Amino acid sequence: MKETFNKKIYNALNERFQLDNLVSFLKHKSVPKYRNTIWYYFGGISLLLFIVQVATGILLIMYYKGSEDLAYESIKFINAKVSFGWLIRSIHSWSANLMILAVFVHMFSVYFLKAFRKPRELTWYTGVILLFLSMGFGFSGYLLPWDQLAFFATKVGTDIAGQLPFVGDFLLKLLRGGEDVTGATLSRFFGLHVALLPGVFVVFLSLHLIFIQRQGMSEPEDWKNKKESEKTTIPFFPNFTVHDLLIWLIVINILAILATFFPWELGPKADAFVSAPVGIKPEWYFLFMFQSLKYIPAKVWLIEGELLGILGFGLAGLLWVLVPFWDSKTPKGKRNKIINYVGIFAISFIIIFTILGYLLD
Amino acid sequence: MYKYIIYLFLSLIILNTSFAKTINKINSRVIQQKADECLTCHFDNESNNNEPAHLFKQDIHFSKGIACAGCHGGDSSKDDMDEAMDKNKGYIGILSKEERYQVCVKCHSDPNKMKSFGSNIPTDQFEKLKGSIHFIKSVNAVTPIADCVTCHSVHNIASVKDPRSKVYPANVPSLCKSCHSNPTFMKQYNPSLPVDQYEKYRTSVHGKQNLKGDAKVAECVSCHGNHDILSVKNSKSPVYPSNVPQLCSTCHSDKNLMDKYKLPHDQYENYKGSIHGEALFVKQDISAPACNDCHGNHGATPPGVESISNVCGTCHAFNAELFAKSPHKKAFDKLKYPECITCHSNHKIVHATDELLGVAKNSKCVQCHKNEPNDKGFMIAAEMKSLFDSLESADKISLDLLKSASQKGMDVSEADYSLKQIKQILIQARTITHLSDIKEFKDKMDEGFIITNKTKQAGLDAIDEFYFRRYGLGIATIIITFLVVLLYIKTKRIDKKK
Repeated sequence: MKETFNKKIYNALNERFQLDNLVSFLKHKSVPKYRNTIWYYFGGISLLLFIVQVATGILLIMYYKGSEDLAYESIKFINAKVSFGWLIRSIHSWSANLMILAVFVHMFSVYFLKAFRKPRELTWYTGVILLFLSMGFGFSGYLLPWDQLAFFATKVGTDIAGQLPFVGDFLLKLLRGGEDVTGATLSRFFGLHVALLPGVFVVFLSLHLIFIQRQGMSEPEDWKNKKESEKTTIPFFPNFTVHDLLIWLIVINILAILATFFPWELGPKADAFVSAPVGIKPEWYFLFMFQSLKYIPAKVWLIEGELLGILGFGLAGLLWVLVPFWDSKTPKGKRNKIINYVGIFAISFIIIFTILGYLLD
Repeated sequence: MYKYIIYLFLSLIILNTSFAKTINKINSRVIQQKADECLTCHFDNESNNNEPAHLFKQDIHFSKGIACAGCHGGDSSKDDMDEAMDKNKGYIGILSKEERYQVCVKCHSDPNKMKSFGSNIPTDQFEKLKGSIHFIKSVNAVTPIADCVTCHSVHNIASVKDPRSKVYPANVPSLCKSCHSNPTFMKQYNPSLPVDQYEKYRTSVHGKQNLKGDAKVAECVSCHGNHDILSVKNSKSPVYPSNVPQLCSTCHSDKNLMDKYKLPHDQYENYKGSIHGEALFVKQDISAPACNDCHGNHGATPPGVESISNVCGTCHAFNAELFAKSPHKKAFDKLKYPECITCHSNHKIVHATDELLGVAKNSKCVQCHKNEPNDKGFMIAAEMKSLFDSLESADKISLDLLKSASQKGMDVSEADYSLKQIKQILIQARTITHLSDIKEFKDKMDEGFIITNKTKQAGLDAIDEFYFRRYGLGIATIIITFLVVLLYIKTKRIDKKK
């Protein structure tokens, strides 16, 4: 009886929206099944966490007030008075961090599996842009509670942006809305966080997903010479989708545990007249850059050390983004060990300097 | 034995020689004095005893053999006026205000010269005077406000121990008055400085004794110093607020001196241990009361029974006002009890705790009130103390609950903030005890109980919420795990199907 009812609904929808085509597409879409299949799930995890961010963000915006006088108090109100406000805020903060972590893992897995190679260059570019946008979300969102730590971390972060040659001063004033971090900065960051960045993000995310759907999942390099019958795959629907769902549930449970056991803290209200907290650090995903800038001498030849560091990171980031351009061997089916060495160096650099950043003041 | 006699003999010879030398020196000056032609001439030409030459014959400098030329220059041994007043011989005539103190300094800052006149008075007066407010603050910025002659006079200078001296203790108030009671003169230098110090001083115990010629009691220089007088705002001044207790103690802690006046000498020791002393000495709070804040300074007098509450009420205004309205006021007046100090003591006022209240053995209330049916005060005291204890205990319970909730990661900052009002309410209630009105007191305490009840509930709710979150998470995890297991079975099934 129930099956008949479901079928009736499906038929009614199919008649109107030609669902058979979609089901047939999903049934024919397959995912390679081999020892590295696990990494294919991180794109989905990133997507789930983005959805969580959007959902919790919409709930938070109902109570959050993006002004210097009310921001901190509204967060306190959300934490203390709004039903499940503490949970929503905590999940939003934890999910933001897990999302950036998932995007990082996703990017490195794509990099090491050489999934950026032709014809998926645009998927890679849009993916890296999505990572930068996620970090932008993190940076702008960090200031919104308007507590002491957020205030000074933003001050330090925007100071670094101000070091850039030619555009530094302009960029600093553009970000801060003046010379210093003030209520104007908060308004700008709020606007960025809830309007500009989500709009841009959705555009690139849509492109990223369309590219994946059109091109299908990337296959391992060594499958190029295999016959179709020798390739082991699983259907995207329902097999991969059900696996995805299972992992999503686990991620949601981890989020709930983190939010309950380690609720996101709120420090004292921002005050420009008090001294900065000792050992102030940026969020963990900026820490490796922040820490490595400390090791560069004040002057290298005639250039300021910090500026040199920023330019170095800029150049390295650009090379990283443009990997489909300079990696000429992989598209020809040859093994390119340099890619692996560069990747291992990048991961090691990020991990070592992040740990140093936490261990040393 | 012979040895000692020889020693004694030799000592006598040495002493005699030294004494003879000094006598010779002084004699030679007396001979000089006899030959002071300036004095001889001026003396003969003067018509009365108040003129310089007549006065100078009474001067301590004259007795030491110092001639007119000692200050005015010239040659006193010549009877010819031109020779005596020869500028080549250093004659300077009448000294200008700018240079007159320099003549004094010439000898009084030179220990050898002073010794040669047989004087052992200190020689640092000018050094001290240079740093004093009298020397540095002058309208024309050329002459000092006060220099040596302003206080010691000119031709009739006498030793400070000589009752004729202007700086003899009994004469000091009148000397200082000559400027400090003159508003026209004083406003040139410090328009805000009162000019009634002398008037007040004469009303004080010190002033009255001084008027009787008692040189032991405090007069102006006893407190302000003499040559090195500093502004009261200068922390080095002996009358700077935090230095006052020590200043007063120089006399008032001197047992021998105080015994003479039949006064106690333990006030300073008591004050040091008091809450006021702690505020002044330990916390360096110069607004804390020192001796002069209660006793007055120039008009220093022990507060009488009736004036005590006015004295304490200067700072503790609300307490004094409430006490004046209380039934205690009438009773205290009748029994001639000094108001505040009956319960709080005077110099040794310690931090007033709630133990002062109530009916326990150490409480102040039971000193008068007894556990008798018609003693309403006893019942009120017991009830007030019981309410204090209850509110403090309720405050502690709420505080512990909120602390526990906070340690569990719950946000109880609002309740925490509310609870801070209890401290204020307790302070206000302690003030209201001075009114001895149980209704007023209960109303205030009720404000506190409302807050403690609310904050206690907030603490309990926060702890409940903490466990609700934990249980909620547990249930959610069970549901998710169940779904995960179902999905896992499903994946196995569909993977197998392929």
